[in-house]
Parts: sequence; C-alpha cells; structure tokens
Amino acid sequence: MKDREQVMENAAAPEQWKTVFSQLAPGLVLFARQWVRTPADAEDIVQEAFVKFWRRNHQIDDRALLYATVRSTALDLIRRDSRRARRESAVLGDAEQTIEPQFEAGDDSQYALALAMEHLPHEQREVLVMKIWNELTFAEIAQALEISQNTAASRYRYALAALKKELLPR
Amino acid sequence: MNDFSELERQLENLRPAQPSSQLTERVEKALRDPVIIQPDRLNEGNTIERRFFESPYHIGWILAAAAAILIFFSIDLRKTTRQPQELARSPMAPANSPAARNLATFLPAGATQVVYHTQDEGLFFPAHSERPLRKVRSVTHETLQWRNAATGASLRVSYPTERVDLIPVWGQ
Repeated sequence: MKDREQVMENAAAPEQWKTVFSQLAPGLVLFARQWVRTPADAEDIVQEAFVKFWRRNHQIDDRALLYATVRSTALDLIRRDSRRARRESAVLGDAEQTIEPQFEAGDDSQYALALAMEHLPHEQREVLVMKIWNELTFAEIAQALEISQNTAASRYRYALAALKKELLPR
Repeated sequence: MNDFSELERQLENLRPAQPSSQLTERVEKALRDPVIIQPDRLNEGNTIERRFFESPYHIGWILAAAAAILIFFSIDLRKTTRQPQELARSPMAPANSPAARNLATFLPAGATQVVYHTQDEGLFFPAHSERPLRKVRSVTHETLQWRNAATGASLRVSYPTERVDLIPVWGQ
C-alpha cells in the first residue's frame, strides 16, 4: 500500500528520475564495481538500489543517501551470495588480468592510472570514486559512509598520495 | 596549496566505462511499473523476504502466527491420533463414549505454585477493624497436571495468578 502511494507520488516526475539516472549511471556502476568483479553484477546492484531509492520516495538530490543505498545493496548481495562471491574471488584471484576494464580505453598513462587504482585500499578507493567520478562533497561522502568529514578528506588525500607514489617513475 | 591538482586532473580525464543500454531500459521499466522488477542475477526470494521483514511489526506477527500454529497442531495431533482407536472400540452413546471415559480417567498428578514476586504494600486500615492489616501482594505462576494412567497421556495447565494477603498486625 505504501509502495503504491510512493509510486503515485513519484509518478509526477519519472522523466526527471530517468534523466538523473542516465547522468549518474556510469559513476554509480563504477562505485558498485568495488564490491563485484563483473560489470553485469555492478549493474544489477545499481538497478536494485536506484529502484529501491525511488520507491522509498527519497529526494532525488539526496546523493549521499543514494550512494549509501548502493553500498548497502552491494553488501547485502555479498552477504546473501557469499558462496558465489568466494567462488568468484577464487577464480579471479588466478586470472586477475581478465577483469573487464572499469574505464574507457585511453592512452598508456591513463591505463597505468586505472591500474594503480586497483591497488588502492578499498576504503581509499571508495572515497576517491565518490569524489572524482561522482562529484560528491566530503560532507556527502561522510554521510554516505557514516564517517566524519575529516576521515573522508584524509582517505582522499591518502589515496592521491598512494597513486602518486605508484605512478612515480622507478 | 594542493599538490595533487595535476593528478586530480588526470583522474578526471579517466572516463568510467558506460553501462549497458539494458541497464537504462531495466530501470526505466521499473520506474514505470509499480511491480518490482528484480535484476535477473539477484535472488528474488531473498529480496522479497527482506522487503517483508523491513517492518519490525511483521516479525511480531510471524512469531505470533508460529506460536498459534504450534498450539493448534499440538492439540490437533492428540485428537487425531486417538480418534481411530476410539471409534474402533466403541459405538456407544456419547455420554459413555471412550472420549468421555478417557476424560474421567485423567487423574490429578501434580500442582506447583511458583511465587516469583512479592511486594509488601504496607499497612492497611479497614473501616471496621480494630487492628491494621499488612497488605502483601504475591505474583505466582501455577501449574496443574493430570495424567491418564491407561494411555500415559498428560494434560497440563499453567496460568499466572496474583494474590493479596491481608495479615493482621499484632503489638506493633
């Protein structure tokens, strides 16, 4: 019943929601890729999270909550499908080079940068993805991850420092 | 001064891979359709289960329903297991039926009374009494048990009780 009411309320601006989704989708999928190895799984997470977010009648501009929803959906998926995740990680551990790229093809320096990102600790990469490709503020990141703004900013700086170190010519 | 500005610029130049066109179609369909459209690869059963458990009230209802089902079946099974024997044994009138005889053969087998809370509520002065009375309230749980020696079946009834004792106070 509540869902139905929410659907009716949200029906007022479905076009707006679609527009927002098309703008956010690449960043959201990139964000979701942190928990799963295939783009297909990441897309499933994004779909489920976005529809859930819409059904709960949240404000369309509450990006912190949207990313928190994606995150919790991904973690739910991992929990309820942990066996599959273990199987996948075991397989992917042996064949890490076969992972599909998360970024569009670019030159060598961009490839090196994308590769360096793979080596970042998860908590730093998470903040970096939210900040660079999803353009969230530190306040929004802090809210989505339930951490302080200072922690979010620190993780971002650590991520950049780690990337810089990784990319230095040896 | 931000010494990472060049790196940030390089990162911004990296473009995330575009999601498939099916994703946009699936989301658009879900936004149009009030029925939940679940992704193919996710477990539908789990999703429905989670939605059902979203409200804490549902858990209460489930527990209540489970308790009711357990009580119902425990009573019903006793009836159904005895019925064939009873019917085969006796075509007699209801007053003399095996069921009635069985009930009559249930004999008291035990009674327990557990006092789990006592509260002294102080002195009480009744209107026409010369002495005050002390009012003591006890909360107990009583269990009565009957047993049918022939079949070994037992019947147990438990219920909470509350008792108030008025104790005359002497020489205080």
